Amino acid sequence: MNRDRLLLCLYLAGILAATLVHDPVWLGAGLVLILLLAGGDAWRLLRRALLAILAFNTLISLSYALMAWWQDISPWLTLARLNLRVLLLTSLTFLFIARANLFRALDFSKGLTYVLGLAYSQALTFRRAHEDFRLALASRSLRRPRLMDRYRASAAAASWFLEKSLHAATQSAQALRSRGFFHD
Amino acid sequence: MHIPDGFISPQTYLPTYALAAGLWAYAAHRVKKRLDADTLPFLAAYTALAFVLMMVALPLPGGATAHAAGIGLLAVCFGGWMAFLAVSLVLAMQALLFGDGGITALPINALAMGGVGAFCALAAWKLLARLHENLALFLAGWLSIVLPAALVAVVLGLQPAIARDADGAPLFFPFGLSVTLPAVLLPHVLVGIAEGVLTVLGYRYLTRLRSRLAA
Repeated sequence: MNRDRLLLCLYLAGILAATLVHDPVWLGAGLVLILLLAGGDAWRLLRRALLAILAFNTLISLSYALMAWWQDISPWLTLARLNLRVLLLTSLTFLFIARANLFRALDFSKGLTYVLGLAYSQALTFRRAHEDFRLALASRSLRRPRLMDRYRASAAAASWFLEKSLHAATQSAQALRSRGFFHD
Repeated sequence: MHIPDGFISPQTYLPTYALAAGLWAYAAHRVKKRLDADTLPFLAAYTALAFVLMMVALPLPGGATAHAAGIGLLAVCFGGWMAFLAVSLVLAMQALLFGDGGITALPINALAMGGVGAFCALAAWKLLARLHENLALFLAGWLSIVLPAALVAVVLGLQPAIARDADGAPLFFPFGLSVTLPAVLLPHVLVGIAEGVLTVLGYRYLTRLRSRLAA
C-alpha cells in the first residue's frame, strides 16, 4: 500500500472515530492532535477551517441557542459538541488535502484516476474562468449591475462553459485515441 | 444543500455509503459498457461542467443569488447514470480536493442530487416531452432541485431522533423535521424555478451547439 492510500485510510478512520466520540473533551483533544500534526501550518489550517464553517455553524448555533432559551434547556453541551466536532472534521479534511495526493491514493483504478484527473484539471481551468467572468462584469460596471445585466452575464458565462466542455471532451477523445489509451 | 461534516450521524452515513457504493458500482458498470475514447472524456468534461454550473450564480429579484446545479440538464442530455456519476464525482472533488462540503454528507448528497434529482428529472422529461417539450424541460430542472432538497431536509430533520444522548440532547444536527422541511424546502422551490429556466435554455443551446459541431 502506497503512502497516500495509507493516509486516505487513516483519514477515513479519523472521520469515523470523530463521529463516534461525543465527549467535548475528547473532541477538543482530537482537534489539538490535528493541529500538532499540522506543525507550522497549524494556525493557517485552523483559520481556514474556522472560515469554512463560520456561516453555517453560526446560523445553526444561534438558532439552537434561541430554541434552547425558549424551551428553558441548557444549550452549552450540545453547542460545544457540535462546533468542536465540525471544526475537528473540517481541520482533518484540510490536513488530509494538504498532505496527501488523492490521485496516487486512487491509482488502483486507471479509469477513475483518469476521469478524476481530467475533471479536476478542467474544473480548475473553469474556476479561474468563472472568476474572470465575475471580475469582468464588476470592472465594466460603474454601479451595481441591474438584474437583466446579471442575467445576461450569467447566461454568457454558462454558454461559454457549455461550449468549452464540448470542445474539451472532443480534444481529450482525440488525444486518447491517438495515444492508444484503450488498447494498452 | 451542502452539508458540512459533523451534522450527520454514523447511523445515517454508514448505511448510506453502503447503498451509494452499490449504486456507484452499478452506474460505473452501466456507463463502462459505453466507455471508450469518446465517452470517458465526456464524463470528465460533464463532471467539470457540473462543477462550474454549481458555481454560476443565478440572480434573483431583490439582489439575492441562487446557484444552479445543472442536474436536470445533465440527466436529460446524457442519461440518468451518467448524471449520477458526474454529480457524485463533483461532490467527491469538492469534498476531497477543494475542501468544500463534507465527506460524511457525500453519499447523501450524491443519492439526493445525482440519484433522486437526476432520475426524477429524466422521468419528467420522458413522460412529458411529447406533450410539451419546454414544460417537460422546466419540470425536469425544477424537480432536480426540489426533490433532493426535500430528501436532504428529511435526512437532516431525522438526526435528533436517530442520535441523542442519555439526556435526550441531540448529538448531531439539532433540529427536527418541523424546522428543516420549511427552512430547506421553501428557498429551493424558488431556486428550482431558476433551475427550470436554465434547463430549458441550456438544452436549447446545447442542441444547437451539438448540431453546429456535427456539421
